[in-house]
Amino acid sequence: MPGNAVDAVATEKTRDQIMAEREAKKLAKQAKKHKTAPTPTAATPAVLTTPAAPATKIITEVEQTTITTKLTTTTTTKVQDAVASKTTQPAAVNGKDVEAGEKTREQIKAEREAKKAAKKAGKGGGAKVEGITQQLADLKVAEKAPVAASAAPSTTEADQEKKKPALSKAERRAIQEAQRAAKAQVQTKKAQSAAKAPPSSAPKEPKLKSVSPTKAATISSPGKCPASTPNVDCRVKLFNHLVCAKEDSQFINDPLVHPSIARLGVQYAKRTVVGSNARCIAFLHALRQVVYDFETPAKKEFGRSLDAAVKHHVDHLHKCRPLAVSVSNAYKQFKNQLTQLPADVPETELKELLVHFIDTYIENQIGKAAQAISGFLQEKITDGDVLLTFACSSLIQFICEEAKRRQVAFRVIVVDSRPGCEGQELLRRLHATGIPCTYVLINAVGYVMAEATKVLLGAHALLANGYVMARTGTAQVALVANAHNVPVLVCCETHKFSERFQTDAIVYNELSDPNQLVRGDKCQLSNWAAKGKLLPLNLSYDITPPELVSAVVTEVAILPCTSVPVILRIKPDIGY
Amino acid sequence: MKEQPLKEITQLIHAIKVGLVEGSYNITNKTLDIFKYIIMSKSWQNADALMQIVRDQCKILQAALPQETVTSNIARRILKLTREEFDLLHAKVQHFADDSQASLSLHKLVTQTSESNVSVDYSVPQHGLREALLDHLQEVETELETSSENICVQAEEHIHSSEIILTLGHSRSVENFLKRAIKKRQFLTIIVAECAPACRGHNLAASLASEKNVEIVVIPDAAIFAMMSRVNKVIIGTHSVVANGGLRAACGAYTVALAAKHYSVPVIVLAPMYKLSPLHLCEQDAFNMVGCAEDVIPYDSIPAREAKVYSPMFDYVPPELVTLFISNTGGHAPSYVYRLLTELYHPEDLEI
Repeated sequence: MPGNAVDAVATEKTRDQIMAEREAKKLAKQAKKHKTAPTPTAATPAVLTTPAAPATKIITEVEQTTITTKLTTTTTTKVQDAVASKTTQPAAVNGKDVEAGEKTREQIKAEREAKKAAKKAGKGGGAKVEGITQQLADLKVAEKAPVAASAAPSTTEADQEKKKPALSKAERRAIQEAQRAAKAQVQTKKAQSAAKAPPSSAPKEPKLKSVSPTKAATISSPGKCPASTPNVDCRVKLFNHLVCAKEDSQFINDPLVHPSIARLGVQYAKRTVVGSNARCIAFLHALRQVVYDFETPAKKEFGRSLDAAVKHHVDHLHKCRPLAVSVSNAYKQFKNQLTQLPADVPETELKELLVHFIDTYIENQIGKAAQAISGFLQEKITDGDVLLTFACSSLIQFICEEAKRRQVAFRVIVVDSRPGCEGQELLRRLHATGIPCTYVLINAVGYVMAEATKVLLGAHALLANGYVMARTGTAQVALVANAHNVPVLVCCETHKFSERFQTDAIVYNELSDPNQLVRGDKCQLSNWAAKGKLLPLNLSYDITPPELVSAVVTEVAILPCTSVPVILRIKPDIGY
Repeated sequence: MKEQPLKEITQLIHAIKVGLVEGSYNITNKTLDIFKYIIMSKSWQNADALMQIVRDQCKILQAALPQETVTSNIARRILKLTREEFDLLHAKVQHFADDSQASLSLHKLVTQTSESNVSVDYSVPQHGLREALLDHLQEVETELETSSENICVQAEEHIHSSEIILTLGHSRSVENFLKRAIKKRQFLTIIVAECAPACRGHNLAASLASEKNVEIVVIPDAAIFAMMSRVNKVIIGTHSVVANGGLRAACGAYTVALAAKHYSVPVIVLAPMYKLSPLHLCEQDAFNMVGCAEDVIPYDSIPAREAKVYSPMFDYVPPELVTLFISNTGGHAPSYVYRLLTELYHPEDLEI
């Protein structure tokens, strides 16, 4: 049964991958033996999380190794990521617990429950595992008994994901045997873990999770199994390295995630909160709520424990949708602020300080910056101007409204693109203020460009090499504008400046749901997943080279694109 | 006085307007059939009368379907044929050997001025002209029928294996060309820009996906620039080729060509000979049409009440953005188009 599943999922394995598996198996065995002592070799991240008495040093090591392995594995699937972070997080919490050397009443209670659950799992485990595919079982095990069992299965799983099509019979047999052995091991371990769980310094988070382990596993598993859902990965070869947006999955209740963050995560994932400013503001509001509601665990330092909690939250958000540059900049600022907290001040005051910091960040970096940029641009907008803009930018909207207030006679051409059609939103808002508008789709941009006198574009981020990262299509508009000799002004607050260097839109990008390209049931694309070779691709951002941009309008000044590094240097508190 | 359209012409105009006849090839074919019918009919007695009928009917077609340049192109071909056949027969009658059969050489073009002053009198009835014309027309028909195939054959010369090709919308020539390429070459990746609002690119993608050994990626029009950095070749169809080598192509082609230029990607345009028109247009306002805007933004949405919404059908692509034309007779550089035009049509017929 599991063998079949393996055949279906992993149809190809190279020799050294099998070797790697065997190694993993051996290591797992060792880990089992040295249950009380930390394993000396740091072969796989999963193995390292097993040790019973992890010290903080090792934990950092674990994190590092996970990061490096993540980087080295060519196909970083979402599942792998999830597993990796899942395994690191308990470790981190775990380490802290051990450090503190004491357990609260809650934790003990949680432990007991976990013990019960683990026992149950140990009993019913065999039948259940056979019932579902091996991979599901692996995942389940990883969730239920993370301390003992995560070693072998998670490595094999990771291996499985790496390889797919075509392998010889002998190889297949070898894999099956390896699987069987691994499974047997897992089961014996489960039994052991049921007995040994409490002494082996149980981590807090997984315990809480294991209250209803079977339920959680069955709910979350279909979305997580890479074999059953074809669109987990982007199948376009060029974009194999990027993770595709998923509709459902992974919004399993994580009790450690604050409700406001959980809600924000869903909003991010469902794209109800879009636009880098909106995302940043929403994030900061949620963060403020988190700070308000944060309770420092007993005998812990406020700053550090809050830092850990916020990190967890940010990771959760990242899983929902890769963080916007603005959000990660804000987060870095917040973290920076946390490290500078005064020591001998009561917690409530510290919270006040942080909340004040968040509020001023919103006010200064977003609110006042927008005003300053608008101020710069008002000088540029005169009677008779025709502004051309692309998609929906809150900043452009603000600028246009301000110009309207000044009673400048100008009109706006909104260029839009399928499938997002965000320009319709801008059109609606501008229409509400009574600005005359023209609306075209992006392939008609050449048709209207002759009328335009200025092109105003919003940006997602400004990269350190002067490239502008913005909604897909922005580069195209800038290109056509350049061909028509129309000046292109990119409006971007400095809190969106990034220190990343990027020269194309493919290395790092975000993939939206490809199903958005399908227009209704009659569309030829409908049911594309079944057609095999037909792959819709929905890129979120593109990169505009600096030579296509006349100037960037920031709250500091109107600058050429290439001055981004200068801004980053003179204003080191924005962007890291 | 205004000429009345023939019954067949009105039928054709109606069919095209209603959308029963679609695609340049079909329209050309149908127009050719009508002209063949005219030639066969007894309504004309000499070459001059025939040419007048063809001109009149062509003008009617042009007025009714200004965007379909292929109809006038085919009319010009007929006019040229008539002139040639008449000359040939005339020469035979006069017993003097004219070496300039079909082709107007550059030399002759230069020296023609003096010759054309002699201007042949086409109103002289010429025996056997009808038969000769019908004969020649047969050749034109065959050429038309095989044009798609002849373009396809050249696929191997232009596409190597593991190539990444970008195309826009749905052109039948491109579809056949790529299908041939897929059969002959392995591991192609074909990126299809959907070409909103009609999204005909979806149809092309679905059609190509039935082939083996190929990866079809459908992208929204906005992602053309982002993807262009990885593209090896851009292959597009066109509505017509104008005299300077520029294109009048589907909306979005200009952006594609510009992006290709930015990344120095060759742009190959598939244009069968009947799409070459001797029009001198160098900006889109000269010929563009706006389509229904309902697909761009729904009429009942609030902003649609006040906003101006455009859905243009064509783009003008200047010749400097085109690398190569592939026609049924082979490859041509954009700068060579004027020469092809002089071979195809008689200089006096450029204005109908």
